[in-house]
Parts: sequence; C-alpha cells; structure tokens
Amino acid sequence: MDHEIRNRPSFANIKLNLSAGESIVAEADAMASMSGTVTMSTRWSGGVMKGIAKRLFGGESMFVNEFTTESEGELILTQPFPGDIECIELKGNTMFLQPGAFIACDPGITLGLGWAGFRMLIGGEGLFRLKVSGEGRVWFGAYGGIFQKEIEDEYVVDTGHLVAYEPSIGVKVGMAGGLFSSFFSGEGLVTRVSGPGRIYMQSRSFDGLAAWTNSHLW
Amino acid sequence: MHETYFTGGVFSSSIDGGRAGADIELAHDAIKASAKDGQLFTLRYSDCNVEMGGFNNKMVFCRNEDRSLTIFTEDKKFSAALAFAAGGLLDDQLQAGKNKVKSDKRSGRNFVLICMVCLVVGLTGLYYGIKIAGSAAVDALPVSVDKQIGRHTFTGMELGGEEIHDPVIVGAMETIVERLAPHAALAGLDYEVHVVRSEQVNAFALPGGIIVVYTGLIEHADQPEQVAGVLAHEISHATLRHGLERVGQSLGVAAAVNLLIGNVEGLVVLGAEVFKLATVNSYSRGQETEADSEGVRMLHAAKIDPLGLAQFFEILKEEGNGLPASLEWISTHPDHQARIINIRGLVAELGPQDYEPLDVDWDDVRRRVDDMN
Repeated sequence: MDHEIRNRPSFANIKLNLSAGESIVAEADAMASMSGTVTMSTRWSGGVMKGIAKRLFGGESMFVNEFTTESEGELILTQPFPGDIECIELKGNTMFLQPGAFIACDPGITLGLGWAGFRMLIGGEGLFRLKVSGEGRVWFGAYGGIFQKEIEDEYVVDTGHLVAYEPSIGVKVGMAGGLFSSFFSGEGLVTRVSGPGRIYMQSRSFDGLAAWTNSHLW
Repeated sequence: MHETYFTGGVFSSSIDGGRAGADIELAHDAIKASAKDGQLFTLRYSDCNVEMGGFNNKMVFCRNEDRSLTIFTEDKKFSAALAFAAGGLLDDQLQAGKNKVKSDKRSGRNFVLICMVCLVVGLTGLYYGIKIAGSAAVDALPVSVDKQIGRHTFTGMELGGEEIHDPVIVGAMETIVERLAPHAALAGLDYEVHVVRSEQVNAFALPGGIIVVYTGLIEHADQPEQVAGVLAHEISHATLRHGLERVGQSLGVAAAVNLLIGNVEGLVVLGAEVFKLATVNSYSRGQETEADSEGVRMLHAAKIDPLGLAQFFEILKEEGNGLPASLEWISTHPDHQARIINIRGLVAELGPQDYEPLDVDWDDVRRRVDDMN
C-alpha cells in the first residue's frame, strides 16, 4: 500500500491506495473520504476497558476504524486541527505519542496507553501517553509544522511542543530559568529531554493558541 | 544464574531510519544484537560505554566510543547480567549509572513535591483572597441593598404561623429594639418587628433590619433582658452584614459579576433566593461568635444587662435536653455551653455600667402570650 501526505504542512492529509486484502487502522473520525470499494469496520481500541482508558486519558477515541478492500480503493485520512502529518516506520521498536497525536497505523502495530507520570502532568503534557510498537507504519499529526531531532545530551523543549519521543528519551520538567525569568519570560515550565533517542516537536502549541485567543476575547 | 537473551533495540546509521527493535545476547566477550531487519551488531565489553536513563529511568544503553552504535534494553535483569557477563569490567560504569538514576529520581520527586506544595499554597491563597475580596465588596455596597434583599426574602417567606398585632407584645419587642438601635454598628437600617404566633423558640433578623420573633421564644424567657440578648445577637447578624457575606460566598462568581456590572437588582433577586433556599439562621461558626461579641457590646452600650443572653442559653440548655423540634433557635446555635462561657467572659471584660431595666411589663406580655394558646 503506497501513501502520500499532501497539502503539507498546514492542512496535511494522508492519501492511501489500498490494494486487494490490504487494510489500515485509523482513529475514529479520521476518514475524510474513500472509494466505494473500501469497507469500514469499527472495533474497540484494544478492548472495552483499554478503549475507555484511551478516551479518558489518552486523548484518543474509544474506537478505531479498520478500512479494507477486496479490490482496490483510495482512502483519505486527516486530523481535526491544522498542521503537518508525519509517517514513521517501526521495526520492532517503540514510540510514545502525546495524547491526540495518533491518526493511523498498519494492522501490525500495537496501540497501548502508558502512564506518563506527574512530572508530565505538571509540564502540561498529560498524565498518560500513547505507546505504539510492533512492525509497520504509524501516522501522527501535530498542530503546525513537525520537526524531528536526534538527542544526545540535554535539550530543552517548551511545554506543549513535544509530540512524540522514543522510550530511550529521558524527560524532566523544570523551570525555564531562574524563578524571575521563569515567571516573566512567558516560558514558565519547560521539558528537558536527554538522549540517546529521537523526538518530534510541533511548531505551534495548543496552549499558545488558547492564550492568544483568550487575550483577544476581552 | 543470569539470563543471556533479552529484548531491546539498536540505534545505528546502518539501519534504514536509524533504529530497530533487536534480540540481544550477552555472549562470551561481547554484546550481540540481532536487529529486526536482519543486521547483526557486535559490541565488545572492553569497548562498551554504559549509560542509564530513558523515560522510565530503567533503560541501560551500551554504546561504542563514537556513539555510532547503541544497543539498549529496558529489561530490569539486564544490568546484573551484563555485570556478570563482562566479568567485572563494567561494574564501575554500571554503579555510576545507577547513582545518576537515583539522583534523577530524587530530584524529580522533589520537583513534583514542590509543585504540589505550591499548588496547595496557591489554592489556599486564592480561597482566602476571594473571601477577603468578597468581604471588601460587601462593605462597599450601600445599605439599600441589604434592605432590598431583606424585603424580597420576607415577602416570599413562609413564617410558620400567623402574625400577631397585640400592641403590648409587639410594643415590648419594639421597645427592646429601640433601645438597641442607636448602638448598632451599621447606620441606616430600618428596624421592623414582626411577632409570629408559634411554639417555635426562635427569632431572626433579615438583612436590612426586618426582625421576626416567635411567641415560643417569649414564653421561654423569664426576663425581657433575655429576649433583648437574643435580639441583640440577631440584629448583629444584620449590622455585621453576615447575610450579604453568605450571599457572596454562595453565589461566588455570579455575585461578583453582578457587582462588577452594577446589576444590584440581579444581586438582590439572587440573594433573596439564597435566603429562601437555606435556613435563615444558618450562619458560620465564626459569624455566630462575632454576633455574640457584637450583641454583648450593643447590650452594654444600651445599658441592658448582657448576661440576659447567657441566661437564655442556660434556660434552653436545661429545657433542651432531648431537643424538641420546636427549639429551632438552639438547634441553629450549637455549642451553647462554650458560648455561655464565652459570653460571660466578654461581659467580665467590659467596663462598669449602670444597667437600666427595660420599660416593659413582662408579666403582662407573658400573660397575653399564654392567653393566645
């Protein structure tokens, strides 16, 4: 199955060409359009309890849709907010995704929910994160552009900009600088990541959008 | 016996994408990793640099000198197995890694703890800030708001008995209020006394100065000073604006918004609803203590013996064993023993005063109340 990420980076969407017998698993409501030859079946995301947990804590849907075709067909998947989409290929390795980032994956990928800890909650990244592992492709989205970085030593990411990271990445949440600069620089808390490993970041943050919108409401 | 095979991963530029899951073997003189794409990687123990960390602080990384190859696993048994397989060659590095992980965990825990403490302190500060701001806002409101809330509340109120207009009984209550009124802490209130025929031993004052006395309370009082004590306490709730404070606390943001936009009428309607929903006399413990102190001060200034209030509590305490439902006032004014002591203490602190008896024929008042039953 070949794929193309189109209209990057602002309004990215995934175009997949399914051949006979191929299938793809996607987040509920991710489908924008598809050929009449493609059929969709809905199932709990990893079972009833796991599905509910993903809805409550992982920012994902309780259900996932599996798209398949007996002949061939086209499928367009998208995300609810403007921004880029990235495709990564897992070869038996694991990746953590921030809540709401997951869009689709090959059927060989396992989706799980993991405890991220209070430090991530304080850092504004949520108590839980999605764990994707196995062999196959995973598509995830971000608000704004996506850029990746190989981390060796410590690297600082503002809270709300981390989208995906490998389990080998160490994460600490701390103040951006001293007490004064942390409060008045507008940076507040930041995430300090350390390698080895790869992280994916988004060029915009939802908190930034919310704060900007809020400032124009009064 | 230590395990030899583990599941983990490899970082290497020779893998497409730079990473892959791998099966790891601790061989005789090297770590061997078989990546999922079929490539085999070998790292001799003597060339191995060990690091620890990762998201869960449980990951062990074995890296070559230039860091172009990293073999890693999260298996908790790997560390001990690696130390054993390397024959002590990596013990120092493993120990240093463990120390670093411990230190990171400790600082992480401390950071979370500090954040939690800051959160609790912040929320507590916010709570008291709102309370102080609420009090300040109430102080700034004109007395006319108290009167309007009191009137709205009284109009829609079920008093639980028929209002009586006996000139002697009502007149006696008015005489008491007239003696107290000039010494009230808040000027501008219009006092208005209503007497209701009911067995309830109860009295209350609404914001603005509307006072309701039940005949049950008059029946239980041996002296007019005892009723004066109760009325001074209730009037204090009105003059200290406890009702408005309660409205502010109950309505919270709604009250603040109404105040901000100057919608006093809206506040009045909402405030009256709060009074209708709750028991009229349900004030906080702090407000009750304040009303006791203010009542005693008012009685003393009006030259009415303040011990009447303590005496009335004592009467109710004696009669109130088993607490019949009709003893409404005592049920909304708990801890009477502590309050008797407190009131006596307050009276003892006051300077000397020539108390003057109330110009009321109390026997006549009691007889007329008895005749009604």
